[in-house]
Amino acid sequence: MHDATHPAEQTAMFKAGDRLGLDHLKLGMWLFLASEVMFFGGLISAFLHFKINNPSPESSLLDVVLVGINTFVLLASSLTVVLGLAAIQRGDRRGLMGYLVATIILGFAFLFGQGNEFVTLYRHGVTLSSSLFGSSFFTLTGFHGLHVFVGICWALMTLAKAARGGYAQEAHLGVEIFGLYWHFVDIVWIILFTLIYLV
Amino acid sequence: MSLASEAGATAGGWRRYFTWNTDHKIIGVQYLVTTFCFFMLGGVLAMLVRAELAQPGPDLFNGTEFNRFLTNHGSVMLFLWIIPVLAGFGNYLVPLMIGARDMAFPNMNALSFWLIPPAGLIMLASFFVGAAEAGWTAYAPLSTQTPVGQTLWAVSVLILGTSSLLGAVNFVTTVFTMRAEGMTFWHLPLFIWGMLATSLLVLLATPVLTAGLVLIAMDRVAGTVFFSAANGGDPILWQNMFWFYSHPAVYIMVLPAMGIVSEIYPVFSRKPIFGYKAIAMSSMAISILGLTVWAHHMFTSGMDPRLRIPYMISSMIIAVPTGIKIFSWLATIWDGKIRFTTPMLFALGFISMFLIGGITGIFLAAIPIDLHVHDTYFVVAHLHFVLFGGSVSAVYAGLYYWFPKITGRMYDERLGKLHFAANFVGTNLTYLPMFLAGLLGMPRRVADYSPEFTTLNLLATLGAILLGTSTLPFLYNAVVSWVSGPRAEANPWRALTLEWQTDSPPPAENFHELPVVKHGPYDYGQGIGVGGQGQTAPAVGD
Amino acid sequence: MQSDARIPSRASVRIQTYLLVFLGLALVTAVELAIASLGLARSVRVPILVLLSLGKASLVAAFFMHLRSDSRLYLVIFITPVILILAVAILFVIA
Repeated sequence: MHDATHPAEQTAMFKAGDRLGLDHLKLGMWLFLASEVMFFGGLISAFLHFKINNPSPESSLLDVVLVGINTFVLLASSLTVVLGLAAIQRGDRRGLMGYLVATIILGFAFLFGQGNEFVTLYRHGVTLSSSLFGSSFFTLTGFHGLHVFVGICWALMTLAKAARGGYAQEAHLGVEIFGLYWHFVDIVWIILFTLIYLV
Repeated sequence: MSLASEAGATAGGWRRYFTWNTDHKIIGVQYLVTTFCFFMLGGVLAMLVRAELAQPGPDLFNGTEFNRFLTNHGSVMLFLWIIPVLAGFGNYLVPLMIGARDMAFPNMNALSFWLIPPAGLIMLASFFVGAAEAGWTAYAPLSTQTPVGQTLWAVSVLILGTSSLLGAVNFVTTVFTMRAEGMTFWHLPLFIWGMLATSLLVLLATPVLTAGLVLIAMDRVAGTVFFSAANGGDPILWQNMFWFYSHPAVYIMVLPAMGIVSEIYPVFSRKPIFGYKAIAMSSMAISILGLTVWAHHMFTSGMDPRLRIPYMISSMIIAVPTGIKIFSWLATIWDGKIRFTTPMLFALGFISMFLIGGITGIFLAAIPIDLHVHDTYFVVAHLHFVLFGGSVSAVYAGLYYWFPKITGRMYDERLGKLHFAANFVGTNLTYLPMFLAGLLGMPRRVADYSPEFTTLNLLATLGAILLGTSTLPFLYNAVVSWVSGPRAEANPWRALTLEWQTDSPPPAENFHELPVVKHGPYDYGQGIGVGGQGQTAPAVGD
Repeated sequence: MQSDARIPSRASVRIQTYLLVFLGLALVTAVELAIASLGLARSVRVPILVLLSLGKASLVAAFFMHLRSDSRLYLVIFITPVILILAVAILFVIA
């Protein structure tokens, strides 16, 4: 059909993008991330609306130290992602795989840490339905955790593709796109950590 | 046109439309036909509402049933008809108009379409479990307490929002990265500018509604208390989250429509468009300003009073770029060699009726007036003039205009004119009385009303019957012409934009040879386009 | 054809940058935790912490997401919703 499988047609299709220095997959991902900024922004606005207008003593139950460590973990995972990208950019497939494994481990560690925090709060009687604080805390951090989980799944798929030899020095855009998503989820956490735990 | 492609266009043709197909032209038609079915469904719901309101007193339905009909009328019309039908036009036309072979992400495009039928079914399935009845605006606390159907409503809107969002990512990426050689941004047809402005709003506003719907759904199924005032929650927060999307949504519903009529005026006046850059930039201005005005829907909600005047001012400012567009269109038509074809008639109807709707919008933006007419039939009249008199007229204009391109056949012009006449009279007869009813104090969303509003309501119901009936010549025309109408040439309107420089219907790859653009899209009377060569023709003297 | 082992290749400069950025992120986080534990007044604590976290976010976006080196359009696409949502958050809180 119109499936331009011929390489010359393929590159010709996106010439206008090349002239602007844009890659269509990257552009698509950035546009999607822009919408995610608005999504998390919406949830954050709701959270702040309640935190500022209906502050709750339950926020003293938050474990700043544990979650602070968790923040380091997630920041480290962003580092491993970008080092993985650097690896495949110089053709080091095994390096990429190693850093992806590290990312996955750190991602799971983050979720484990979050799970711990959730259980601790639950033991103090704070749940989704127990109070406004519970509702807004668990919803906001829950959706972030969901995004981390999706990221881990994506990392696993990227790892699998790397293992099959799907990435090379000249062809690793998929790794970069995954990285954009992962770093974004990290950025969201940077903001969430400050707004929920520090201020 | 080769025999093979002719055969391919018809043989086994209709079956393609029921499959997962990544060709944007197929997807475009899938959108147009599916959404039109929802339009008719929304119309039936409207007829039920108008039947009840023809006379005061409870006639046919009780209050709950009535609320369910009007809620789903609004929701179906907005989320399953007008927003996606315009996306459907975008899908069909964007690659063709920019000289590309398809959209940037064909599979995601197919996904965008295929999310719609299940979402529609979910919304309608709610009638079996107690349909949503809180209005399309779903204000809390009513929406967190109503039966199960409200949850289905929320899920359905979430899915439709996702479809819309993916479409916007596709449109923007396609326009930025796949324009043909010579197709600079200032040579883009105005419909494309309309789609860009629309996509900006979809990307920035839809996710906030998504967040709000998530909170509503969680209040309903997970026991959270976001909108439960008794537990410290805040129903006004829902209004803010809802209207932050739903106000830009009305521009999502009209910017592509304005793009459609911008295509039609120059063609049927044989004149270059007046103020191309002004119209393009006004589209972007409406889009950006549209993000700043949402609380004008909340003047009577108990919102912070200090914020009301700023919102009033920003809402009135939007009239400026809108006015620039209207004056530019009028200047385009002025002194032109006008052909009153059906698309042109609907496009002209658009200007007059959108003008009425738009100006009454300025009335509503004025806080002192809004305090009196908020939640009355004045608002109902305003919104129907902009959405029905405006956007739907433009959709009809577009359907007739691009009918030969999409189907390869010509529609019947006399039936088209009959449709226009009935639609124009019907629209005005239905909605003009509502302005008066609202000013006199008739509230909206009521199944019963005080007897002094009877005549106005009866007129509106008669108009609605005329409107409903007026769809019939259109349906007959569309179906019969598609199946056995006279074959259309590549460029029956002698237009200059790129979609007219290829076969009707276009081949699978859109263009036998990718075009190289040399001119703007509306350079009529400039020495090109005489032989219908369009934007790709060498200029006189080349 | 002198091989100058002391001049780092472009690839290793990039890696150095990534490591430095990470170090910066870790340091700022430590500082934030310290400030949060000082028990300062809200009006002092909040702006400082918010600014620091925006700084961290900018580092990740600029260096890890390559916004510094890629097309400026990506930056515009990312910054626009950020600015918009700041206004929205303020309005949602007040209204």
